[in-house]
Amino acid sequence: MPNQELFNTRVNRIMTAATLGKPDQIPVVLTADAFCAKHMGVKLADFIKDYNFGAEIMLKSFLDLGGVDGVQCLVPAAMEINNSWLSRYKLPGRELGDDELWQVNELEVMHPEDYDDVIKKGYNRFCNDIVIQRLGGTGAEMEPMLSAAPAAAQNAIEAGIVPFVGGVSTIPYETFCGGRTMAKFMQDLFKIPDKVQEAMDASMPDIIGDAKGMVAMAKPLSVWVGGWRTASQFLSRKLWERFVWPYFKMLTEAFIDEGVIPTLHLDADWERDLNYLLELPKGKFIFSPDGATDMYKAKEILDGHACFMGDVPPAMLALGTVDGVYNYSRKLISDFGPSGYILSQGCCIPPNAKVENVKAMIAAATGK
Amino acid sequence: MSKNLINAMADLNEDVVLEEVKALKAQNVPALDIIASLQEGMSIVGKRFEEKEYFLSELIMSAEIFNEASKLIGGAADGEAASRYGTFVMGTIYDDIHDIGKNIVTTVMGSNGFNVIDLGVDVPTEKYIDAIKEYKPKVIGISCLLTTAFDNIKECIQTIEKEGLRKDLKILIGGGPVDEATCRYVGADHVCKNAQETVEYSKKYMGV
Ligand code: B12
Repeated sequence: MPNQELFNTRVNRIMTAATLGKPDQIPVVLTADAFCAKHMGVKLADFIKDYNFGAEIMLKSFLDLGGVDGVQCLVPAAMEINNSWLSRYKLPGRELGDDELWQVNELEVMHPEDYDDVIKKGYNRFCNDIVIQRLGGTGAEMEPMLSAAPAAAQNAIEAGIVPFVGGVSTIPYETFCGGRTMAKFMQDLFKIPDKVQEAMDASMPDIIGDAKGMVAMAKPLSVWVGGWRTASQFLSRKLWERFVWPYFKMLTEAFIDEGVIPTLHLDADWERDLNYLLELPKGKFIFSPDGATDMYKAKEILDGHACFMGDVPPAMLALGTVDGVYNYSRKLISDFGPSGYILSQGCCIPPNAKVENVKAMIAAATGK
Repeated sequence: MSKNLINAMADLNEDVVLEEVKALKAQNVPALDIIASLQEGMSIVGKRFEEKEYFLSELIMSAEIFNEASKLIGGAADGEAASRYGTFVMGTIYDDIHDIGKNIVTTVMGSNGFNVIDLGVDVPTEKYIDAIKEYKPKVIGISCLLTTAFDNIKECIQTIEKEGLRKDLKILIGGGPVDEATCRYVGADHVCKNAQETVEYSKKYMGV
């Protein structure tokens, strides 16, 4: 394989940083999908019509950017969000114009009595029933995406790019919140807390089982444990301690037990509860905030305990200048490196990011 | 005012709030007095939110309890009867369906003595225009959580101006990513960071 050596160097670079060591240079590990389509001049409708094609476009984009050590996604993620949030979604070329970004359309597809169903049937059967009966799906929507992934990973490896994150998982809070809608779900937490908790407890065996199955099959270096609507910013500490943290911890530890280094993909502001992350074993997970959590406050708490990844804000990549992005990234590198730090965007490179801004971010690490 | 009701509202104790409202109603306490107590409780909720004792979860629950309680009083809390300060029209701009923030603002405005007209989400410009013509509000609010919809707000505000409806009208904007720069870009009058600020600003502008 022509790029074997490059690939090995990059795996080494990323894994050294992930386990708190000092790599030869700061690794760059990106997340982007719709951006790649725009970057390569492909309409979003075409981009997601065929996942193999979408994956090719993504790889082309990463190669054109240059200096990308690893990536956190290999195929377009349009469906993924739908499934983990039990939501209907609008797609480009279907409900939307050919070049509009896919969108979650939150609707109340789950009702309070459904918690009993989760408890009785288990999580997987429940979710599948909802997708088929209420969202009008077939349960096989994810299939094309999942089956495109192995070839996409192989192609990336051959090009010398590390498919760092190989799967996404999350806790019942995210799923129920999507199915109930955020406002209704929060009311459930006050009105029927015991029922919600029972359903969450009943869900974990399936979620952990799937997590282990995913690791056994894809053997990824890392996986996402995602926190979107579970951020401290959204709920009081009392609720967070009861409905978020125990599950988040259990899932993260399950991945660690399987020998992967979970990437905690944390959107919105988690500052209040960062000290809980100290309960996770040192050097075994990555802390990846989206630009909304103050990285410097996080450093005070998690420095030396977890690798930091991030957090060039998506808005800066879209609206900022080359110099602004470069300077921000350089500052991250000098404040969070040289050990235990991976340079990355916060959350995801937005579709309207300027290519030269993304290149400026990467240049901050590669020196090119 | 009922101390019991104020505290139960502030502590989000739904059962107690509903019982207390029923009891007060049975004692023939005027609806407006009951609402005043609920509103007092809501402003304590707002303060606790600012002090980071309460979070979004508690704001949403308070809005729910307030709405349930006002149903018991026969919806008087959101009708004109309870509105001491005039009409406030609000919606989420077209192409955007985020409504949690908007709902909090409308509920808090409603519970603070404004007559609120909620236009919903994904609101086209014509709907704002029609509402301005019909209700003649002094203040309207446009909510927006997507940077990709900023141009829609801009278009909406320009059209309001073109229709000659801007003269005595203040246009507030708000929502996660909206800031001073956005405000200038879209040509709005003011950005509010949260519901409490919206109340303060509107009261001041309406000369309360
Ligand atoms: C919940 C949520 C959703 C839910 C919405 C549910 C609902 N019924 O509203 C769902 C899942 C449907 C959703 C969908 C999408 N979302 Co969304 N969503 C969020 C999230 C997590 C929270 C928003 C929220 O409710 N906040 C809580 C409320 C209380 O805060 P608020 O809205 O800011 O309101 C307060 C103040 O701002 C103010 N205020 C608000 N409006 C107004 C108006 C006036 C006039 C005034 C005076 C004050 C005021 O008062 C409120 C109370 O204090 C944010 C993340 C974030 N950090 O904001 C992303 C976020 C807004 N979403 C985002 C995106 C990209 C999307 C999608 C495009 C994703 C997708 N590809 O599917 C779709 C778009 C769908 C659409 N067409 O609108 C991005 C926007 C990025 C950007 N800057 O453009 C965000 C920032 C997430 C992120 N980090 O990427 N989302």
